[in-house]
Amino acid sequence: MRQRRLIFIAASLALVLTCPASWARAQGEAKAAPAVLRIGTPNEVKVPNIFTDYYLGLFAHVSNPPLMRMTSDGTLTGLVAESWAVSADNTVWTFTVRDDLYWSDGMKLTAEDVRFSVEYTGTNNAAARWIKDTLKESRVEGRNAVFAFTKPYAALALEFATYIILPKHVWEGVKDPARYSNPDGNVGCGPFVVERVDTASGAVRFGRNPYWKGARPKIDGYEVQCYKNAEVLALALEKGDVDTYYAYAASYPYAGIERLKSTGRFEFVEKANLGLPLLAFNLKKAPFDDRDFRDAFSYALDYAEIAKLDALGYGKTATRGFVPPGMGGYAEKPALVHDPVRARELLSAAGYRDGNGNGWLEDRAGKEMTLSILIRAEQSRVAELVKDYLSKVGIRAEIRSLDMNAWVAAKDRYDYGLTIARTTPWGMLMHAGWGTGYFDSRRTGQGVLHVLDDPVFLDLADRILAVADPVKRESFAAEVQDYYARELPGIALYWNMAVTPYNKAFSGWRPDPLYGIYNIETLTAVERNKG
Amino acid sequence: MPGDPVANIVGAEAGLEEAQLAAIRAQLGLDLPPLRQYALYLGALLRGDFGTSYHFHAGVASLILSRIGWTLLLVGPSVLIGAALGAFLGARSGWNPRRAGSRISYAAALAVSSTPPYFLALLLLYLLSFRLGLFPLKGFYSSGGFPDVLHHLALPVTVLSLFSTARDLTVMRGSMIREKGRPYVTFARAKGAADGRALLRHALRNASLPLATMAAMDLGFLFGGALFVEIAFSMNGMGTLIYEAVKARDYPVLQGAFLAVSLTVLAGNVLADALYAVLDPRVRVRQ
Repeated sequence: MRQRRLIFIAASLALVLTCPASWARAQGEAKAAPAVLRIGTPNEVKVPNIFTDYYLGLFAHVSNPPLMRMTSDGTLTGLVAESWAVSADNTVWTFTVRDDLYWSDGMKLTAEDVRFSVEYTGTNNAAARWIKDTLKESRVEGRNAVFAFTKPYAALALEFATYIILPKHVWEGVKDPARYSNPDGNVGCGPFVVERVDTASGAVRFGRNPYWKGARPKIDGYEVQCYKNAEVLALALEKGDVDTYYAYAASYPYAGIERLKSTGRFEFVEKANLGLPLLAFNLKKAPFDDRDFRDAFSYALDYAEIAKLDALGYGKTATRGFVPPGMGGYAEKPALVHDPVRARELLSAAGYRDGNGNGWLEDRAGKEMTLSILIRAEQSRVAELVKDYLSKVGIRAEIRSLDMNAWVAAKDRYDYGLTIARTTPWGMLMHAGWGTGYFDSRRTGQGVLHVLDDPVFLDLADRILAVADPVKRESFAAEVQDYYARELPGIALYWNMAVTPYNKAFSGWRPDPLYGIYNIETLTAVERNKG
Repeated sequence: MPGDPVANIVGAEAGLEEAQLAAIRAQLGLDLPPLRQYALYLGALLRGDFGTSYHFHAGVASLILSRIGWTLLLVGPSVLIGAALGAFLGARSGWNPRRAGSRISYAAALAVSSTPPYFLALLLLYLLSFRLGLFPLKGFYSSGGFPDVLHHLALPVTVLSLFSTARDLTVMRGSMIREKGRPYVTFARAKGAADGRALLRHALRNASLPLATMAAMDLGFLFGGALFVEIAFSMNGMGTLIYEAVKARDYPVLQGAFLAVSLTVLAGNVLADALYAVLDPRVRVRQ
């Protein structure tokens, strides 16, 4: 009797579990017919609002393209803008809007939409508050949207490669964007538009814009599938739940690449990453305010080993110029060298000696010295290596591992000796470019170090900011890299590749340095291979 | 909590001047004294305004409403399954504690209780979803519809149920061992009640009293415990909402979420009190 009851319970359970499974599978098969690309991402969409949600705003670059974009070779070109011009004093910017863009509800995109979007962004996006503070006037002249600023901002065209353009006829009615929710039927003017933002299923679905006049996309649509943890996302990729991987400013985890390769179903796009792991000194504090110390320090680290262990073959030793080779204006500078003997000699020459013979160096005043290495948990492996290298040249160090907020608070109080962090592609481009935004002491923000108040550097940044011509701007790049190589305000621990796996069933990937594979060029060119 | 909400609002890549950050701080009222901020919050709450999230950039009430239903769908069945299975298995284990089956079930309950929820969730997800393909890897649903939701919830509910069953089993077992030695059970047996009848009709009801309290408290515990399951199965529920709000110093969301969780636990306790009255005639209100 008991046995029969157990069999009945087991059979019922199997029925309950497998019926929905087979039903759901049938649904999946029924929907497999159209060519839909599925992109798995750890960049989570949290609310259905393309303006306020950070990652949805990033994904909306395809549905609501910005004025400008970056090509695969890093050149800045128009997207919604057909052309652009700037006044001699770099304060008045004129963007001529393309004539062939239509919103997905059939209305034509106009320069007024562009003017509205810039004003709306400046008013309602805290990170873009500089627009509100410096925009003196905006106006529309035919197909031109004209913006007059109170001071020159030469990197404006680049900045405008990040803000999405909104349809004025929809968003002018949204007075408080933070209280706005629009999971369905977003209006966009790109090749694809956001059709559905479903936070409960963790998916954003994009369909074709019927009014798109540009190159016809080769896929019917695509989905962005959000995962809360990297391990499960890797399983989803391997299982075939998603076709490719995308993470803003990051590579697919290097440790998982071999496993994907072994399945034989994946190819990989490799692109030099503008973002890099950075070791930055607190220049406001001894001994890091001493250039000789920083110079000696640079010889203590084994860069090849760090790249090997942390980037697993996808990194290479950087130069003292800091700026990675994938960035426009890159200049060849002396490579960072691991030479502990030289490090000791330079330290001794600079006055850092082991006076009491305990094996650890003292500072110039003869006091015991312990360096504080401030990190977040994800940098612990590199921090341990750095600590070990320092001990080999007689420098004692301790690691302080904090969560993101505590790290930001300690960094902003200058309560550390050196810190290990990562820069992002946009971070390397922002402000005067070439990483200046991280070091300039006049700036502040979560990822910004603001440690460098050397008038030479600040003047250089200001001079770059006052020049809008991209060719002239790049001529300053060598000067910035010379400064980095000479003064070493920070060290690029290695340069790395951004690796993106994709299912061989698709081809046509065209990554750019700013957004990787997630761009209009890729999404209009990517196609499902025949057969 | 160390950290500045404004730093989170502007994000990692924004570089603004200190004056601009101060302006944002003033706009949000974060430059006001804490007591004044609290008074403003209470005033808004009385008007039904839960505030706006710093991190999610959305109304707190709509954020909570969009998530609490899903979490209750995840946690509610787990509490009920845990209470039912825990009561059944715990009663059997406590009634005959020396039998091999009782020892095994108790050992299994201890093993599950000692396993980190995240590890167990990932392990089952790897075996049942990835290897065997029985369940989806993420989300509350894919295409929508009841069977789809059921299919997505089956494994996460199983994981949470394992934990609540393990907890309830150990409580019930201890309670049953205590009740079993009471005179009324001996008296029932002396009257000729069979073993099963003495267990089901007499001892079970009294032994269940601590479990009713436990199940109510479980609602609060499982909101926290659901966090790991939500992360493993990529579900946007209350657990991850609170977790992300803590990381981002998103005080309006934290205040709203804690209020919602507290109200849910209170409601659970009221239900437990009502259940007590059903189970135990001694606590019924006399007319």
